[in-house]
Amino acid sequence: MDLRAGDSWGMLACLCTVLWHLPAVPALNRTGDPGPGPSIQKTYDLTRYLEHQLRSLAGTYLNYLGPPFNEPDFNPPRLGAETLPRATVNLEVWRSLNDKLRLTQNYEAYSHLLCYLRGLNRQAATAELRHSLAHFCTSLQGLLGSIAGVMAALGYPLPQPLPGIEPTWAPGPAHSDFLQKMDDFWLLKELQTWLWRSAKDFNRLKKKMQPPAAAVTLHLEAHGF
Amino acid sequence: MGRPAAPARNPEPMAFFAVFRTAFLLAVLSWRTCQSEVLPERLPLTPESLHISINSTLQHLHLQWTVHKLPYQELQMIFQIEISRFETSKVIWMGNYSTTVKRNQVLQWSWESELPLECATHFVRMKSTVDDARFPELSFSSNWSPWEEVHAHTPEQNTDLIFPRDKLVEEGSNVTFCYNSGINQNISCYLDRELIHGEQLYLNIFTFKLNNVPFIREGGTNIYCAVNYTIKDGTVLFVSKVLEEPKDFSCETQDFKTLSCSWDPGVDTGLFFDGQPSQHYTLFESFSGKKKFCEHNNQCNWEISRDLQETYNFTLTAENYLRKRSVNTIFNLTHRVHPKAPDSIHFNNVGATNATMTWKMPALGNYSTLLCQIELHDKENMRQEHNVSIKVNGEFLFSELMPDTAYMVCIRCANAKHVWKWSKWVTRTLITAEAAPSKALDVWRKVKPEKGLHHVTLFWKPLSKFHANGKILFYNIVAKDLDKKSELKLQSIPAPANGTELTLDQGSYQIQVTANNSVGASPASEIVISGDSGNEEVEEQKINGTKDGFLISWKPLSEDRAGYVVDWCEHQRNLHCELQWKNVGPNTTSTVISSDAFRPGIRYNFRIYELSTEKIAYLVENKIGYTQELAPSDSPQVKAINVTSHSFTLSWKDYDTEAQRGFIQGYRVCLKSKATQCHLDSVAELLPDNSTCCEHAINNPKQKIFLVENLQPESFYEFFVSSFTSAGKSPIGTFTKVTTQDEHSHMLMHIILPMVLCVLLIAVMCYWKSQWVKEKCYPDIPDPYKSSILSLIKSKESPHLRIMNVKDCTPDTIEVVNKSEGTKTQFIGIEKPLTESEFPKPANLYLLPAQDFCVPGPCISFVNHTYSESACDSGSCAHTPVPDTAPPCHLELLASPDNLLNTLEKTHTDSLGEIPAGKISLNYVSQLASPMSGDKDSLLIHSPVPVLCSEYKMQMAVPSCLDSPVLSENGSLSSMTLLGQDKHYH
Repeated sequence: MDLRAGDSWGMLACLCTVLWHLPAVPALNRTGDPGPGPSIQKTYDLTRYLEHQLRSLAGTYLNYLGPPFNEPDFNPPRLGAETLPRATVNLEVWRSLNDKLRLTQNYEAYSHLLCYLRGLNRQAATAELRHSLAHFCTSLQGLLGSIAGVMAALGYPLPQPLPGIEPTWAPGPAHSDFLQKMDDFWLLKELQTWLWRSAKDFNRLKKKMQPPAAAVTLHLEAHGF
Repeated sequence: MGRPAAPARNPEPMAFFAVFRTAFLLAVLSWRTCQSEVLPERLPLTPESLHISINSTLQHLHLQWTVHKLPYQELQMIFQIEISRFETSKVIWMGNYSTTVKRNQVLQWSWESELPLECATHFVRMKSTVDDARFPELSFSSNWSPWEEVHAHTPEQNTDLIFPRDKLVEEGSNVTFCYNSGINQNISCYLDRELIHGEQLYLNIFTFKLNNVPFIREGGTNIYCAVNYTIKDGTVLFVSKVLEEPKDFSCETQDFKTLSCSWDPGVDTGLFFDGQPSQHYTLFESFSGKKKFCEHNNQCNWEISRDLQETYNFTLTAENYLRKRSVNTIFNLTHRVHPKAPDSIHFNNVGATNATMTWKMPALGNYSTLLCQIELHDKENMRQEHNVSIKVNGEFLFSELMPDTAYMVCIRCANAKHVWKWSKWVTRTLITAEAAPSKALDVWRKVKPEKGLHHVTLFWKPLSKFHANGKILFYNIVAKDLDKKSELKLQSIPAPANGTELTLDQGSYQIQVTANNSVGASPASEIVISGDSGNEEVEEQKINGTKDGFLISWKPLSEDRAGYVVDWCEHQRNLHCELQWKNVGPNTTSTVISSDAFRPGIRYNFRIYELSTEKIAYLVENKIGYTQELAPSDSPQVKAINVTSHSFTLSWKDYDTEAQRGFIQGYRVCLKSKATQCHLDSVAELLPDNSTCCEHAINNPKQKIFLVENLQPESFYEFFVSSFTSAGKSPIGTFTKVTTQDEHSHMLMHIILPMVLCVLLIAVMCYWKSQWVKEKCYPDIPDPYKSSILSLIKSKESPHLRIMNVKDCTPDTIEVVNKSEGTKTQFIGIEKPLTESEFPKPANLYLLPAQDFCVPGPCISFVNHTYSESACDSGSCAHTPVPDTAPPCHLELLASPDNLLNTLEKTHTDSLGEIPAGKISLNYVSQLASPMSGDKDSLLIHSPVPVLCSEYKMQMAVPSCLDSPVLSENGSLSSMTLLGQDKHYH
């Protein structure tokens, strides 16, 4: 690149222009209400924390169920777990979800999963396992509250509980303990998938709620000056 | 396996009716028997209305039936039962059920199937036989009832493949599983991870059996079947631990309000996964008929009724899904009183030796009398134990306590009538008050007289806690001058201290020492220092100690005595003595001194003092000894002196025998030599290096000198002296080497020494008389009369020649030039160049002044004026002034012109150089000798010299520094003239 004396003047003029317009960049000029961003961030963080917590809990619980439930590639039919809210969704569908629907699905899913989880806690044989499950239930309740907070901040109403599904609702006992174990397996698996999905949901929301960052690109062409 | 169901009981029939009915029945039966041979008709008493139900959980087939037309009110009957599986022809079980059948009774019987009932269709039939001794005529079998088919009900028949569903068994049980493969020929079933190989039971029904199943996990063992790795069905086998019978079941009350029953439940059989709780417990009291479900697995509380039921009969039942176990206890309530621990414990009126303790017993009220056990402990042992009966409030007085002592008081109570269990111990600390010390201090002293004073060091042993009665705060020392009857309070020493130092004059002093605590002082301990204290001298006596100590005995000094004191230093070798002492009674004259501090090889010094009634201590005896003697640690430092050709003496001094590790009993002199045999007074001793030495023994420890005799002259010897105690010798160290002298060396000395002395004397004499000798033998100025040349001339040439006597000449001038003593012969033999300052100034006749001589050396001229006078008169030898640049004086014999020229050149060249050594010489040139020498060459050289002076020329001595003959301006060499640089004198 061959810079001439005239080029330096050109660069200086460009820099002055950029500096002149910097106060107008929104990202550098935020002084008002922080909006739902921090609460979304907190919800995201809580989701990641629950992911970590579930990893430990699921290991203990699946060992308690015994083989084949604690084997890495175990994938039983859903059978009784069909009533569990599914986290998996088509990618295009997921992208097309609006914020309200996205948050509502999360809220409803965790409401149901929390009920199942409390039933699981009642069945656990060991005190240690009951303690871990109770702790996780408390955290999940916190996540539910956090999602409700985000929805309230965005002005979305909380979904009404479905008829027959009260907060204390729990799935009926399976006719076989083995099938019950499969349901428990699916509950943990679905919970894990939901936490992954929620992390992506809140990350997307977080980015969406943030004002566009100041992206100033200086394209210097020496010859252009 | 069949299990009988309890039959219903009906009222007893009347006897008359029975007899009539029997007769009628016999008639009927006879008729029927005849008819049956003709028609295959059903026999009477055949079981009817057979109904079969299934209990899937228990895997039971439950059978119910009736027997119609029973001829009697009751009959003892046997029912033969057959059970088939899958098909009626496949009978799997046959058995009899014997019971008493009553009229219209519905009979029940259960059969437990090993195979899960869901896996197969079962068929059941039965027939009866009257087995009643009262009615032998009825002993025939009935017809078989028709086969009854039974299917187990399954919730979803199409999906369930494996049975039993979620079975709960006890550890160690045998379980049979079955699965229906259906149309799936490639079905695989697994137990946890292991593939199960089932046995085909019927068509698509497979079965497998698990024997002696263990407990694996609370979540149960999974059995599942899969087709192409897709799970189709599964079941869980829950294995429970066996319920144990409760152990140590007992009940007791602490307050007559509640009975607390407790037991050891053993292992928990709970399996929560299927909602099954652990075993539960029930308490049943038979007298009252009350029952209570217990909330806990190991204890249960039972309310005591207000009427205070006296006797209780409890049954504790433990129960879970599989088992029930019971234990029983019966007791009288008053025999099961376990009081709570006493509380509100206080100590009142605590003194130095007594204190009062009060306490309360909670919750028992006045129902029973309590026995309380009180223990008083000090730090080491239990000192007192008391039993006190109380109702509610207790009080006890402790006495005979020690002042200032911490006691631990423990108290517990039990029912006085029947001790079931004591309450827990309750412990409190009781500290009694202080009292004045109860015993005088044990005091001793060490007196060191010095410069008219007594330096007294007092020692005392601290009072034991038993006698101190409190914390000792300080010690008071009071000294009384017994001569002046005056009292002087010297010191108050704060504790902890175990001694002090006093400086007293040489009078008699009584010293009193007391220990003081916060309450008061101890009795005074007295000791008297007399004027003679510390000056006693007694002879040391050796004693033998043992590892247990020293037995010391002594003789009393006087009849009137208060006792004895033996003192010694605990650490004898250290500077810090740590004086120890032992008091001995007045009638004892021996004692054993023992101490853990005594060490082998340390000398201990025991001094025995007798204490007079006036408390004055007199030294009685002084004993030294070792608990165990050891070999000396080092050897004396020995010197060899007086070494002769046949002997030498060994001497060692200042060998510290006190510091040795035993009493030195003597020495051993070890002598090594080339001699192979030892002298008679020594013995051969083998050394550690396998060499030998001749050892001489010295058994007198005071002897510190030893003469080694009978040695070979001029021989090499090595010696070593070691000391020895009763325990052995000191270690062998480095040998000292000695070589004896030559036998003749002293004779040589007798000859050589006088000779040397003589030579020296002569040399001194020679030196002293050297001047005289020189003058006599080699004078500087030869005496013509003594010269040999004269005789030579006379004999060869002119017999008429004679010597002119100087006395015959009349000198005209005498000039003394700077006379200097002792310089006449200074230049003789000098071979080194002399500096200016070293040149002496000549003092001879016609000696030219040195300061006018050429530099660097003066020129000395000996002028015979006898001859020079005429020459000077002729003027031909006039002195020619020598220029400043004239070469330094060089005195040389000028023998030839060549020499002269060479000399001139060299002189000119070396004018500022050094004078070569060897050229310094004093030459005498006699004018008489020159022409008469017959040396023509020489004469030729001197030819320019005027003949006027030819007869006699000046006889002169030319110092070597004047190596340049002075040339006159006309170039003639007049003579050797000593000239100054600027001046010359005549």
